[in-house]
Amino acid sequence: MRRRLAAGFAIAGAALLAVAGCSSSGSSGSSSGSTTLTLFGADYGTGPANSTTKYWDTIATAFHQANPSITVNVQTVNWNDFPNKVQTLVQNKQFPDILEGDTAPQFAQSHLLYKSSQVLSPAVLKDIMPKFLKDTAYQGTPYGIPFTTSTRALYYNKKIFAAAGISSPPTTWAQLQADAAKIKSKGFIGYGLPLGSEEAQAEALMWFLGNGGGYLNSSGKYAINSQANMQTLQFLSQLTKSGDTQPSPGTTDRKDVWSEFAQGKIGMVGGQPALIPIIQQAKVLKSSDYSTANFPGRTGPLASTLGVHDDIVAFNTGGHQAAIKKFLDFAYQNKYQLQFAREYGLLPATQTAASAMSSNPMFSAFFKNIPTSVNYPSYPNWTTVENQIKTTLGQAITGNPQQILNSIQQTALSGG
Amino acid sequence: MTDSTAVQETAGQPAAPPPPSYRPLRAGRIVRRLGPWPWIGPCLILIVVVVLWPIVAMVQTSTQNITPIGVTIGSAGFSNYTTLFHNPNLPGILARTVVWVASIVAITMVLSLGLAQLFNQRFPGRRVARWALIAPWAASVMMTALIFRWMLLPDNGVINVFLHQLGLVQFNSNESSWLGRPDSALAWMIGVAVFVSLPFTTYTLLAGLQAIPGELFEAARVDGASRWRSYRAITLPLLRPAFLVALLINVMNVFNSFPIIWEMTRGGPGYQTNTTTVFMYNLKQSFIGQAAAMSIVNFTLIIVIVLFFLRVSRFGRREA
Repeated sequence: MRRRLAAGFAIAGAALLAVAGCSSSGSSGSSSGSTTLTLFGADYGTGPANSTTKYWDTIATAFHQANPSITVNVQTVNWNDFPNKVQTLVQNKQFPDILEGDTAPQFAQSHLLYKSSQVLSPAVLKDIMPKFLKDTAYQGTPYGIPFTTSTRALYYNKKIFAAAGISSPPTTWAQLQADAAKIKSKGFIGYGLPLGSEEAQAEALMWFLGNGGGYLNSSGKYAINSQANMQTLQFLSQLTKSGDTQPSPGTTDRKDVWSEFAQGKIGMVGGQPALIPIIQQAKVLKSSDYSTANFPGRTGPLASTLGVHDDIVAFNTGGHQAAIKKFLDFAYQNKYQLQFAREYGLLPATQTAASAMSSNPMFSAFFKNIPTSVNYPSYPNWTTVENQIKTTLGQAITGNPQQILNSIQQTALSGG
Repeated sequence: MTDSTAVQETAGQPAAPPPPSYRPLRAGRIVRRLGPWPWIGPCLILIVVVVLWPIVAMVQTSTQNITPIGVTIGSAGFSNYTTLFHNPNLPGILARTVVWVASIVAITMVLSLGLAQLFNQRFPGRRVARWALIAPWAASVMMTALIFRWMLLPDNGVINVFLHQLGLVQFNSNESSWLGRPDSALAWMIGVAVFVSLPFTTYTLLAGLQAIPGELFEAARVDGASRWRSYRAITLPLLRPAFLVALLINVMNVFNSFPIIWEMTRGGPGYQTNTTTVFMYNLKQSFIGQAAAMSIVNFTLIIVIVLFFLRVSRFGRREA
């Protein structure tokens, strides 16, 4: 009897220990002069074979060999889960030392970050494209370090264009619609319009820019429900109703139209260099079967297109400033910037890497667009505005565009 | 009880010296009282940690002011709730949730009654058929939803290919985009939800049917009752416990159902195919506090439904 009791208590004790064990995992820090940094990043790969974890691990291993006292633990998560995972980490105060991906201005607002100049040597910092670095500023001071960038252009399928008797890519909306109608009559989709929740904010901005609109007005204030944006959505609605796009743009994601373009089913689609590896993997289109052109606007091609940058931010919560600085100086080496750009079809963030790469004809058009590119607003509440655009803007195609734009503008003006 | 009477009896006896083994006896009693704890203890700890603690955390979160990136910046009082209740999308979402739960559960229960009856008959291949019914249950719901989404793709989904061959729809037309239109998307998703709910419900009802003694039907036949009469007077009343269990579990499952809608439409276009469960997740992207408030509302709703249901079903049992 007594022995059984003892066994029972032992089991209960073990269960308690197990429960307690769950909550006390993940201790990091510096003991006996060695430092462990945690790096949390977005995964740009399409599967385990080209996971971004591999990229970071290569750097972390090389860095550890050069600096045996610092170890870097790498974790990446796919883009779909990235915002959620970051939210959870922050909410549970499990801050990484280094975060790469979509980094919100609120981190700086909440005093969680080192300034860019605190975690990167002046020489390296000077090499970051100033256009994008300026964008990471909170109250005038940069808190992020652009790591990878991209600009947008119009991709078109030359084979489909030839079959439909189109000689050159469209430069105006009217031409785009006429071309799309010709393509449709050949049994293909004219223009792939992704206004679903994945990246509606990017697609919409390219169209807004074509009509002199955008998310901000010329004085940098939110102007989402402007007349120009309103007209743009009316045009897109009419384009869809005429059948010149795929059906239901409001529920179509970017990855859907990109993969259909890669399969040779769509005549035209907006894209960035990252579409190139997708086309290559699909093995349907040869590199001579498609090309890129400036995105058309209402009366002529876009003078400035959308530029996007993903940044690195360094959290001050772990107090590892010196180690972070050492690692980032190491990671921003030219060869690693180029390796990343090549692997995922994106543009680098340093000027050295950019000039090394801009001679590549595949990417030259995208590099040309960087100096004039328009970026997303950098207000702290942009994340909230962006989420609302992702969820609701697609409804403007079938619903009431004015009401939807007004509602987004209201959110934008209602502070952080 | 027996212990206390024993104590009273000894107390009634003329004063006797206290037994020398008094203290050890009491210790033994305490140990005996503690006896069950090692066995139920882990279970209770599990319930506290896995069930109760998250509820407490959820209530806490719903009264906090949390920025979209996850930084808690203080108490929000009930403002998360008031903002949520003033959300213009909420009434439509609540109404849709009622339609979603009611239609799926009703269709599932009716179909399952028929299926259970069928599987209770003796026919060649019954064993295989019963196994086959498990398939939608055994497959991951997310996978099932994903496959249905692919079958409904506007240009090469197998359902559209079939309808195209019949000359009913054109590829890449508005009609072929079943999941792009809120009404047809909801109808298809209700269909998928019924499909994945059928196996469990049918098996529960089948178990209930098999528990009904055959003699009752024999007696009814001897009394000259028609088949329909004996179904109504014997099968349905005796099936009641199984039916109620299946109904209750289905209501909870369907109310909390997330993967079907998430995989097929993500609740879109806009919020037009959100149920309260999906809406809670959508809110979380920007408004963590409001999402927690929505969770509490969902939790309360489901508790109310279950309590109401238990009450009604007990009334029914008393009448019978």
